[in-house]
Amino acid sequence: MGLNIKIRFRIVLYLLAILAIVLMLRLYFLQIMGGGLYAELASENISREKTVSAPRGNIYDRNGKLLVKSIPVKAVAVEPLIVSEDEDVMRILSECLNISYEEIKEKVEQSNLSYIDRLILKQDIDTATMIYLKENSSKLPGVEVIDLYLREYNFGFLASHLLGYTGEIDKKRLQSETYMDYEGGDQIGLTGLEETYENLLRGKKGKIIYEVDPLGRPVNILEETDPISGSDLYLTIDIDLQRFVEEALYQSILEVRQKKISGTDENYKVPGGAVVVLDSRNGQVLAMASYPTYNPELFVGGISEDEYAELKDPENNSPLLNRAIMSFPPGSAIKIVPAYGGLAEGIISERSTFYCAGAWTGLGENFIKYCWNRSGHGSLNIRGAIKNSCDIYFYQVGYGLLLKNDNSEELLQKYLRIFGFGSVTGIDLPSEDPGLVPDKEWKKDYFKDQPEYTVWFPGDTVNMAIGQGYLLVTPLQLAQAYSILANRGLEYKPYLAEEIKDSEGNLFPDSSEDDYQDLNLDENFIEIIEDGMVQVVSPGGTAASVFSDFPLDIYPIAGKTGTAESPPKQDYAWFASYAPVGNTQYVVVAMLEEAGSGGSNVSPMIEKIYRYLFTID
Amino acid sequence: MIKRIKSLREFGNLDREKRKIRFDFILFFLVLAISSWGVLVIYSATRETLPGGVSDPEYYMKKQLIWLGTGIIIFIAIQFINYRKIQRYWWLILAVGIFSLVAVLLFGYEVHGSKSWIDLKFTTIQPSEFSKIFMVIVLSAVMSKWRSEKVSNITFKKVAISSFMALTFVVLVLLEPDYGTALIYFIVFIGLLFVSGANFLYILSILGLTAGGFFLALNAGFIKQYQLDRILTFLKPDVLSMEGAGYNLYQSKLAIGSGGLLGKGLFLGRQTNLSYVPEHHTDFIFSVIGEEVGFIGAILVILILGVIIWRCFYIASNSSDTFAMLLASGIGFIILSQVVINIGMTIGIMPIIGIPLPFLSSGGSSLISMFLGIALVENVYIWREVRKSHEIAYQEFK
Repeated sequence: MGLNIKIRFRIVLYLLAILAIVLMLRLYFLQIMGGGLYAELASENISREKTVSAPRGNIYDRNGKLLVKSIPVKAVAVEPLIVSEDEDVMRILSECLNISYEEIKEKVEQSNLSYIDRLILKQDIDTATMIYLKENSSKLPGVEVIDLYLREYNFGFLASHLLGYTGEIDKKRLQSETYMDYEGGDQIGLTGLEETYENLLRGKKGKIIYEVDPLGRPVNILEETDPISGSDLYLTIDIDLQRFVEEALYQSILEVRQKKISGTDENYKVPGGAVVVLDSRNGQVLAMASYPTYNPELFVGGISEDEYAELKDPENNSPLLNRAIMSFPPGSAIKIVPAYGGLAEGIISERSTFYCAGAWTGLGENFIKYCWNRSGHGSLNIRGAIKNSCDIYFYQVGYGLLLKNDNSEELLQKYLRIFGFGSVTGIDLPSEDPGLVPDKEWKKDYFKDQPEYTVWFPGDTVNMAIGQGYLLVTPLQLAQAYSILANRGLEYKPYLAEEIKDSEGNLFPDSSEDDYQDLNLDENFIEIIEDGMVQVVSPGGTAASVFSDFPLDIYPIAGKTGTAESPPKQDYAWFASYAPVGNTQYVVVAMLEEAGSGGSNVSPMIEKIYRYLFTID
Repeated sequence: MIKRIKSLREFGNLDREKRKIRFDFILFFLVLAISSWGVLVIYSATRETLPGGVSDPEYYMKKQLIWLGTGIIIFIAIQFINYRKIQRYWWLILAVGIFSLVAVLLFGYEVHGSKSWIDLKFTTIQPSEFSKIFMVIVLSAVMSKWRSEKVSNITFKKVAISSFMALTFVVLVLLEPDYGTALIYFIVFIGLLFVSGANFLYILSILGLTAGGFFLALNAGFIKQYQLDRILTFLKPDVLSMEGAGYNLYQSKLAIGSGGLLGKGLFLGRQTNLSYVPEHHTDFIFSVIGEEVGFIGAILVILILGVIIWRCFYIASNSSDTFAMLLASGIGFIILSQVVINIGMTIGIMPIIGIPLPFLSSGGSSLISMFLGIALVENVYIWREVRKSHEIAYQEFK
């Protein structure tokens, strides 16, 4: 072999060495330097994560009766990213789910544009559909049948405003920070207790991480975390009492609708009403009714647009609204507050009297204010004024509060706020209305476009003293105010959730149980007012006739009627009360919209409720 | 005098060598080791994914074992024939090679767009794998024949004839079309020219002509854009493209990269075992190795293959005649080019062309032709002429 060839062999060997080193260097970069990155990419490449819905917690009443439970159903979920590019899949889905192709396409594309990773096309599919979808899963990439939990209501309409309803999470919420750990198709509490206690009721989703082959088909499970059921809620509500109260409300509305407004041929409209029954000793809500009501089952599995529009329509008196926490003009039911304020500020005393001639010209001859009783009540002290609900008396109390210190303190408003008006009670329900205690500042702001109305007129305070004008209160606020009287100045926050029990059986007593505040009110003044309220249901009082058969000697009731004018609407009728006086247990407040006099049209319902509460035949 | 003492030392060495069994154990055992390792890796790659719709998880492993056994038998059988006899019948081998490559064009069936398989009913074979070895034998015979005539310089005529023969093989494989294998044929030819001592001018002009031909073929549309795209994917290594041609490479790089230093463990390469890497038991078997035994294992495989290649060239350079030298070098070039291109392709530094990794990829034709090649190298070693010690002494003295 020539020298030339030997050199050439050496060159070949060098080449071999260089190539081997190049390959090894490349491997070094790939595996040692890039190993971590590639390992991450690879595991993303082959694994998929799937969540498993957790059953939502149940809701029980105070006696352990099951009100709302979760039932598992099958639902069709799609991954918009995959399905939006596959017309065949959408066509097959349209056919077997009986949804129009256009609707599916629109939903999927919109979800895809919003980067939503899961879209539920149909909930609660039947077994045949489920089997069909599972058998054809190879033809349907990005489509899966998942387990979902839907609500079942054991008592139908009952307490629907309190319980609220659940529904599929919407796009806006999905994109907000608060709902970060939710995904498309999740059921969330949209109203009522379902909304308030969403975080406790929802539980914790399970997770399955599994490997997929290149076609996305699951091969095996890598990691599995079981879902944790949501906590159960035990309410302060007594569902039997709730049923009785709702029926009483409904019956009384039907009855009042039969009545004609005196002196006219017009019937009372009574579009709605509300009742609140509190345990005065602790603020527990025993029953809370609102009419008209709705069937929460309509929302199970998704409500149709038509049905929802119907529920939202004001023509149907907005059945979704909980009137117990909406505000209305209170009328005379508010008079306990000017009464207390008058006594506390020395405007009136136990023995002092005002004369009622049916009309009052204290604000000037051009501003004559009338009593509801045009013939006049004559000379009245505070007890008599409450008993007869004399407007002239309270005009003067209001006027006195206004005149004191030139209204620099807005005393009437101050006492209204002490009794809890103008701000939410803090009950565990969403969308509670704070009502309105109007004052100078409010008026200035409210009428800023009509400067001539921004002035605070003496008549504003005077009207407010009899629950007219701009003053708005909720039935729940009124109930709380009356329970403050019953408790001699202790204010309890009303609440609905008594206990929360997690899936392991741990109880969380609701902290609101002992959540009271001493308002430091004068017990003597309260007793004077209470005397007047006891007389309301006694012979000669504004609600006397209704309670004539009631064993008031055993179960004395303190009550106050209210009839609020709210033109052009008919009058709002109120009755606020508590019993038994001396050892108060219950506060019962009811309101009927456009139903005339509280004394004659609301108190019969209250009487019935007390009969039920005290089990009197 | 110094020269003399040196030659006496050599005298002693050769005397000792005479008594040894003349068999290159390093080559044989490394080939056996790497092929057995291949069987294991193939089992790992196929037992879950069952490519081709087979139902037996051990199907590919068993087949590879059978081929390995066959390869060993062929290896042993070849050793009984002196390679010089093979040299004498080079024209017969040329005929068989050409015939099989023509036959596959006529009777073959297509896999992945290349008509490179013949179904013999009991098994399928890929003639282009065997013809690689045949071409090396033929070219070695032709080149050495010219050389044995007392012509000191390699003439133009000699280069032209060997080029023509090589071209015949390359064109037949291109017709299938199997560009990857054709490329190997070409590289082996250039390699043989190089070690045969051909003038660089000849080598450079052949390379130039080939490049020209390639651009002509590209312009004339003989090479399609998608083929070119696939070939050039590796030039954009940082584009983690999941689309089209990039998919294979992306998945292969994920597999190998995620193996890290020590790998995920044999049978535990999810990326490859779940078929994310296509052709993971054949062309992309190195992805499985990279993923399952990591950097250390991959380096070891490269080193073993490197030593095997080195043994081929070592035996070539120590052979007793030109034919033997060219034959062993040719086999070395086959293994070298396939190893570098195949591994390079799985790690993104070589174009993606479908050629098997010697001794490791699943497939009978590849494994058996490799054993045939190694058998010939071993044969060159066994049957080499040991010069008589007195001859050497005489030469040195002279």
